[in-house]
Amino acid sequence: MFSRIAKHVAVIGTVLILSYAAYVGIVRVRANSAPKARGAADPPAAPALIKFISPLPNGTWTLPAGDYANTRYSPEDKINTQNVKNLKLIATFSTGITHGHEGQPLVVNNTMYIVTPYPNDLLAIDLKNLTGPIKWKFEPHPDTRAQGRACCDTVNRGASFADGKVVYNALDDTTIAVDGTTGEQVWRAKTGDVSLGETTTGAPLIVKKKVYIGNSGGEFGVRGKLVCLDLKTGKELWRAYSQGPDSDVRIGADFKPFYAKDQGKDLGVTSWEGDKWKRGGGTIWGWLSYDPQTNLIFYGTGNPGVWDPDLRPGDNKWSITIFARDADTGYARWAYQIEPHDNYDYDEIMENILVDMDWNGQPRKLLLHPARNGFMFVLDRETGEVLSAQKFVESTNWASGYDLKTGLPIKNPVFSTHLGKVASGVCPSSTGAKEFVPSAVSPHTGYLYIPAHNTCMNYEGMQANYIPGTPYLGASVKMFQGPGGFHGELVAWDIQNAKPVWTIKDAKFPVYSGVLATAGDVVFYGTLEGWFRAVDAKTGEILWQFKTASGIVGDPMTYTGPDGKQYVAIYSGIGGWMGAIAQPDMSVDDPYAALGATGAMSEIKSYSSPGDNVYIFGF
Amino acid sequence: MRMSTFLLIASAGLAMAACGCYQSPAAAEGAQPPTFVPVGPVPGAGNAPVVQSNPYATDPTAMEEGRKLFDWYNCSGCHGGHGGGGMGPSLRDQTWIYGSTDADIFASISEGRGKGMPAWGLKVPEQQIWRLVAYIKSMRTPEEPDPPK
Repeated sequence: MFSRIAKHVAVIGTVLILSYAAYVGIVRVRANSAPKARGAADPPAAPALIKFISPLPNGTWTLPAGDYANTRYSPEDKINTQNVKNLKLIATFSTGITHGHEGQPLVVNNTMYIVTPYPNDLLAIDLKNLTGPIKWKFEPHPDTRAQGRACCDTVNRGASFADGKVVYNALDDTTIAVDGTTGEQVWRAKTGDVSLGETTTGAPLIVKKKVYIGNSGGEFGVRGKLVCLDLKTGKELWRAYSQGPDSDVRIGADFKPFYAKDQGKDLGVTSWEGDKWKRGGGTIWGWLSYDPQTNLIFYGTGNPGVWDPDLRPGDNKWSITIFARDADTGYARWAYQIEPHDNYDYDEIMENILVDMDWNGQPRKLLLHPARNGFMFVLDRETGEVLSAQKFVESTNWASGYDLKTGLPIKNPVFSTHLGKVASGVCPSSTGAKEFVPSAVSPHTGYLYIPAHNTCMNYEGMQANYIPGTPYLGASVKMFQGPGGFHGELVAWDIQNAKPVWTIKDAKFPVYSGVLATAGDVVFYGTLEGWFRAVDAKTGEILWQFKTASGIVGDPMTYTGPDGKQYVAIYSGIGGWMGAIAQPDMSVDDPYAALGATGAMSEIKSYSSPGDNVYIFGF
Repeated sequence: MRMSTFLLIASAGLAMAACGCYQSPAAAEGAQPPTFVPVGPVPGAGNAPVVQSNPYATDPTAMEEGRKLFDWYNCSGCHGGHGGGGMGPSLRDQTWIYGSTDADIFASISEGRGKGMPAWGLKVPEQQIWRLVAYIKSMRTPEEPDPPK
């Protein structure tokens, strides 16, 4: 009887604590709110703390992240902390496809380009005539059977624009170049095979005259690869796989990994048992960045094929690895495997943000990688040396830290996953302390704004059969909200001091939108309930917010309109791995559904329906 | 040995024996739907064909075997650990795009469907497909083996 009373008291107490946390976390963060500000260094004064290697040209947005370095920082400052409270809705469109609207529009030549979720239409909007008809729509008609191979909703993360062409990927592994003026196809290239379970959801990156494309399908045992196409013709120039002999991985004499564990010949074969590398995963579905000074492309690879680690002994290289490659030849300059022999589906395809900054008093060329696995990595991008790896979500428990001498995680054996064993309460979950949704950096504050998750899981390894074109998993996963009374937070991370400064907590849902930082010292982001927010970059005070029609899983961007004013645009259409539970064909009474994410998102249907909108805000 | 290990081995044995992995290639081991199963409405009154019902409809052993086959053939990877949905739609709810009778569900599994459901009839024998149908129809009923929690 006492246990029943205790249970009721615990429930009521939890509800009260959660309600208070929601109140404090969402509504009341203010500049002087002491409990949220830790390590209170005064916001630094000008000059800028960060030197940007590829500053965004004013007014346009021609690459997925805006710039090559993935800073998602705009020099636009006409919207600032004083006037953003007057921001209003200028225009809204429907794309007509109520699936996850990840990614962001492009703006160039007074035209906004939007890639929809499958069937991946390309829309051209005339910014001089926002209330008029669209300029044109290009329909690629991808293979309908690709829809059933998309692990995490039929999403698309955007396009790149160069040389008059809009280039983007369709779900069925087709890359298309469309003339930005006429809407006619210029070329089309096939880079993968849907019958193996291979799809493409990421955005291509264009550098000089080359297009770089990754792939998806780690849940199907698909071999990850980076493909390089010629921008003018679409002809394939080379491809670099994420496993196999060095010739497949494009590793040659210039390859100099920093850590001993990553050095050796043909590790993409020898770190696997038998021929399991042929189902090796390591797909590349996140963001690509580029350093024009060193001519290097940076990206991370995803999980190894088969989720049950006992079915693939070895380090499983080169899954879960950050690569630096020569942009012309594709040959690897260095690689750093973040988690050898992955136990958790911790894809490390997150953004690799390139900034030049002082580190311990010395100017250094940095690579910032807020990892899925809960650690905030700062690397020297010239060598791949790890300078710092601190937890950015408190509940992270699979490892206590990283040994900077070896580059290896200090793992907690209690949370290892195995065949026939249930690992309980592992944090973060497979969806991560952070998903692919990109963070942004501000040179005025020196902060990285990280959209973070507090999700944990139970993970049971199981037997798995490889049947091509079907999932190759071997894991039964159930996710749930982590401890602490919140499920998501926007973290302002002081890069040089490697600690959080302020956070805005979300009681119910992870933060599943990208972030935009601007010179007006306003940071924009969105929530899964559909709130689009403008926040003071220095203090975290919420200065303005607008409730959009559906949950936000896209990335805010900003541009100068034809009238010379600053505008901000965001997609509103819930979906993606965690958001797709809001779709009508998902049942919440199976917490193991959607690869375990349903367990953590059971309330989402009450807070957001599917949507298909583009919102443009301004004055 | 532990129950879960026993079940793993037993299910491996069951599937190995029944999947036709080592039957001669000439044997027709695939399972076409046993009768004509229309998805759309049949024109004219009273012309709907009589379709076969599941020989295992109320057999709890068949439902349990269907549960194991659901993992063995990676159905859980697309349709959710206990059928709640994911890459493919939920099988637990009351929305059936291609019909909810046993024969309709058999046909969807055997023939595949346009958005990516594979045509399992070319690989999975008839008796296993009926067992899968029995498991799917048991979801959200008291008979569901290993219900989600």
